Parts: sequence; C-alpha cells; structure tokens
Amino acid sequence: MSPLDRFLDAANVLLPVVYLSAAVAYGYLFFTGGERARRLATPLLAATVALHLAALAATWARWQQLPAATVAQALSVVAFAVAVVYLFVEHYGRERSTGLWLVGLVFLFQLLASLLRRPDVPDRELYGSPLFAVHVSLALLGYAAFAVAAAYGYLFLRLYRELKAGRFSTFFGRLPPLEVLERMMVGALGVGLVALAASVGLGVVWADLLFGRGWITDPKIVITFATLALYALALLLRRLGRWHGRQTALASLVGLGAILFSLLAVNLLFTDFHGFL
Amino acid sequence: MSGGATPRHDPPLLVVGTDHRCAPLPLRERVAYDPAAAEELLVHLLARDEVAEALLLSTCNRTEVYALPRDEEPGYRLVRERAFLARAPELESAGRLYVKRGVEAARHLLRVAAGLESMVLGEPEVLGQVKQAAALADAVGSSGVVLRRLAAGAAAAGARARAETAIASGAVSLGYAVVELARNIFTALDRTRVLILGAGETARLTARALLDRGALEVRLANRTPERSRALREELPELAEVPWGDLLPAVAAADVVIASTAAPEPVLTAAALRETTGRRPGRPLLVVDLGVPRNVEAEAARLDTVFLHSLDSLEALIDRNLRHRREEVPAVEELVERELSRFRAWYRTLEAEPLVARLQKQAERIRAEELARALAELPPESHDAVDRLTRALVRKILHHPSARLRGKEGGEDLPRLDLVRELFRLDDDEG
Repeated sequence: MSPLDRFLDAANVLLPVVYLSAAVAYGYLFFTGGERARRLATPLLAATVALHLAALAATWARWQQLPAATVAQALSVVAFAVAVVYLFVEHYGRERSTGLWLVGLVFLFQLLASLLRRPDVPDRELYGSPLFAVHVSLALLGYAAFAVAAAYGYLFLRLYRELKAGRFSTFFGRLPPLEVLERMMVGALGVGLVALAASVGLGVVWADLLFGRGWITDPKIVITFATLALYALALLLRRLGRWHGRQTALASLVGLGAILFSLLAVNLLFTDFHGFL
Repeated sequence: MSGGATPRHDPPLLVVGTDHRCAPLPLRERVAYDPAAAEELLVHLLARDEVAEALLLSTCNRTEVYALPRDEEPGYRLVRERAFLARAPELESAGRLYVKRGVEAARHLLRVAAGLESMVLGEPEVLGQVKQAAALADAVGSSGVVLRRLAAGAAAAGARARAETAIASGAVSLGYAVVELARNIFTALDRTRVLILGAGETARLTARALLDRGALEVRLANRTPERSRALREELPELAEVPWGDLLPAVAAADVVIASTAAPEPVLTAAALRETTGRRPGRPLLVVDLGVPRNVEAEAARLDTVFLHSLDSLEALIDRNLRHRREEVPAVEELVERELSRFRAWYRTLEAEPLVARLQKQAERIRAEELARALAELPPESHDAVDRLTRALVRKILHHPSARLRGKEGGEDLPRLDLVRELFRLDDDEG
C-alpha cells in the first residue's frame, strides 16, 4: 500500500472523528460559553479543515481527477465546503453561536462519506474533462450552500417557535436574531440556486452534445429539477411577500432532504445515466 | 449582630447597616443620605477619636457605614447612634440593623459591589454607587489607606464579576425584558422603530429602557393628550402620534407596546392582519402589558406577529434570575480571591515596619560585634569578615521576613506581637 493510500485510509477515519470533536467543542460553547471551549473550538475546526484539504488534494493526486467521482467523494467535498463557509461566517460575522449546528452537519456529511468510501474509483474518460470538473464543482457548491441554508433554516424554526410560544429555553438568547438567521438562510439559498442552476444548465447542454438521448427522464435529473423548482419558488414567493421566514425555512429543509435523497438513494439504486453523482 | 474579636492579622474593620431585607422602605428612607448629608456625617465621624476612617454607602435599598475604629466598641456605638438611631430610633429593634467586623465587613463590601446582596441579584447600579461612595469619602478625607484599598478591591471584584460571569446578564425588569425580546428578533435595536400605546408608569419604564438601549425611534400614542404631554416632558426623545393615526403607526413600527387602561382591545387580530399585510415578511413584536388585554389573543396566530403578554415577560425574567443564581458560586469565588488579596495587602501594611525594625536591629548587633572583632583581626581580613557577617544576617532573617510578610507558608501566620516581644523590637525603636 502506497503512503498516499495509507494517508487516505487514515484521513477517512480521522476526519469524522475530529469534526465530531469540533462539533462537541462548539456545543460546549453554545450551552455554557466556557472559556476553554471558546479557545479550542475554532483552532480545532481550522486544523480539521486543513487536514481535509490535504486529503482532498491527496485524492486528486491518487486518482488523477477531480475528487468527486463517487458519492462518497462528493459528500466529502460538500462537507469541506460547508466547513469553509462556516469558518468564513464565523470570522467575518464574529458569530460562533451557530457552530454546533453547521459543524454538526459537516460531521454528518463526512461520516456518510467515510462509510460509503470505496477502495476503487471508476475511471471514465468523462472524469478528465474540464467541463465535468466545472459541472460537478458548481453542483457541489450548490449542495453545500443548500446544506448551509437548511442549517440556518432549522435554527430559524427553533428560535421562531420559542418566540411564538413565549418559551425561553435552549435557543433563546443564544443564537443570532431571527432576522439575521433568515438573511443567512436566504443568502445561502440564493448562492445554491445560482450554482446548481448553472451546473444543471451546463449539464443539459453537455449531455445533449455528448449523448443526444433521453437522459431527461433519468431519476436523478428529475429530482434535481424538482429541487431547483422548489427553491426558486420559495425565493420568489418570499420576494412577493406571500411566504415568510417560516415557510422559506421549511422549504430549505425539504430541499436538503431531496438533495440527500438524490445523492444517496437515487444515485446508488436507481440511476444509470447519472450513476456517478 | 455578629461579634468576636478580629484576628490580629486582619484589619479591625466595622460595617453597620440596614437594607431591604432588614427594614421596610419608610424606615430606610429616613436613613438615606444625599451627598450633602453624607458629607456632613463623614466629617462628623472623622472629627471623633473613636473612628480613624469612614465610608458611607447610601442607596435606595441600603445604608451602610464602613469604619476603621480606633477602639472597636466605642467606634461601633458612635456609628450606630450617629448614622442610624439619631434619624430612625426604630432601627434599634432586633434585626433592623446588622453589624459585621473584621474580614466579614470587608467581605460584605465586596459582595455588595459584586451584586450578590442586591434586591435584584447582579444589578449593575450598585457598583457605580460603591465607587461614588468611595470618591466622596476620599474627597472629604474620611477614607484612609485601608478603606481606599478596600473600596478599590470592591470595585475590582464588581467589575470582574460582571465581566467574567453572567451574574448581570439577562433582563430582570419589564422594560429590559422587552429589549431582550426585540434583540432576539431584530438585527439591531438601533434600526428598530417602537410604538408605545398608553402613557402610564409601565409605558414610561419600557420607553426608558428602549431609549437607553438605543432604539432608533420611540413614538407614543395615547387617547389623553395631557398624559402624553407629561410623559414627553420627562422623555423628550419620544415622538407623538395622534390616536387617530394608530394603524398606520403600527404598520410603520417594528415593536408595539400596548399598555393602556382600555376595557376593550385597542388592536384587533383583523387590524393587525391588515397592517402586517402592508409590510410583508417583516416581523412585528407586540407586547401586551394591558390588564385587561389591549390586543386580541387571535393575533398570535399571524405568522409574522410575535405576541407577548405580562406572563411571558415574567417567565423570561424568572429564567434570567435562575441563570443569575447559577452564577453565584463563581462570583463568590471571585470575591474570596479579591478578599485574600486585600488581607495579604493588609498584612504587609502591618508586617513591613516590623520587618524593617527586625532587620535594623540585626544590622545594629552585627555592626557592634563586627567592630569588636575587627580590632583583633588582621586588616586584610576585614572585608571578608564584613561580607561573611552580612551574608549570615541576611540568610538568618530571610525566612522569618518572608513569613512575616505572608509570602511563605499557609494560613497559620506568626503573630506579629509575638515577634515584637521575642526580639524586643519596641525597646529598640528610636
């Protein structure tokens, strides 16, 4: 076994463990505001993200292609992207109260990635194409943004419910205000919609050129279109004032569910044409 | 009243006082001192032989005199009679006054400054009041080295308690509970528009809290123009809204505080549905402080309306008080650390002159014996013998000096008077 393979095997185990540790540190910070957690959480997450970046680079070097050729690799890239987005939010927003939830989501994605990892990676000529790299990168950026939106949507709903009910418990006083959570959620939805729409648009044109066949009925494609439509509708209705924060948050959670379904169940069980991602 | 002699290495402090736990407001009012009366009292105490230093803390919930008596019992009687019984003889009844001595008196001031003794646990005003009391005593000249150092320690304990624990966090009054609710909904209070319905006491307190915390705009609507005018005279930052323009004003506001004495709701669910329709997506916090209700309960079902009543504000205040109580052990630990620092400082105050005298005596004996010995020793050895005797004296006195200063060893500190007696240091003076 080459040193690269050994490193990848070790990273596959280490990454979910360290992400979980970071999530626990942020959790301690959320519930107690403890000084030790305050000092540990961010450096621990940053170190884990650095390790993750090294693992992704090593994957690229090992397989000589974008590390997004399998479901596991895609989930790992999404986890990485969410972690980076969170570090950005924390740094510029000076806001750490949402760390538990976002880093928790990162842990879940990476755990799934580690469990689904295969020793071999399909070697298709397609994977070497720059168009494939752009298409997949945009898609994964979209997925990461939708994951962030869902996390903020979840937090919005929890705080919203406490405020509506006059029940001041876990989330009250610990999170950014409702307006800020909504803005973060909608911002992430916007980024996700643009990225995924661009990815799908590119994919449609490219598939037509390459295959010229009825790929339009592929289950993965159908669900992706439906998910895009849901997000677009949510943002439009919100813009028109017909939907408010609560409905948009619910839509973000449903949308993430659809994405996970298409990434996992559909990709693994149903699709043929889109059998890589 | 606590008694007991003060251990010799603790300052002989005294505090005599009354607070919200011992005496009702009418009694406390009679021993509340304004700055002029406080100054007069301190000057009087200072002029008497019984008291070397004095500091008066007088707030709406407590009046306390901290003193360094020259003689404990006469000092206590003077403070008790002049500061308290002269103005309110009823305070002589059992339980109306408390007295603490020595380290307990010092601990009490630290606890007061940290907010542990306040009617509302952790309230912030008392720290400023302790600082003001210290400043007045300093200006009048009634506080000396000991009380100035104690007051500085109290200020430090109070500041650290608030900075390092959550003893002062969370709203514990109605007005600030509204602020806290708003902060959980809106991006920033300084971008939040508030509309207050009613001009009574609750409206006044809430308006004050929101203005203090920087609300962008606070407007007032009231059926009775005279009452509005009176409130606006007190709080000129308030803008007035005619009662007839109520609904447009609600549509423009982010927070509506309803605090009128109206027998029927002044804001119906239908009216709120219509006004929130004019501001789609923007949340509206409605706080109904009226009894009976000023806002129809149905309004709570509107998606963007957060309707809260007195009950939910009280639930929030209870929660915050609970959290503050959980911080008490951490604050008490801070207080004990500051108290230890004060005691260690006081000890050096007493010990330092004693150490100086001990070293002076040792040097005198060394010089005398050295002079006798050098007469019989060859000149080339004089320097070496001089160095030897200095080193001997230094080494012999090193540990005792450190112990006397309290730098080595634990709580069992040597009695300074015993040291004085053993080495006959009082004979050696002068």
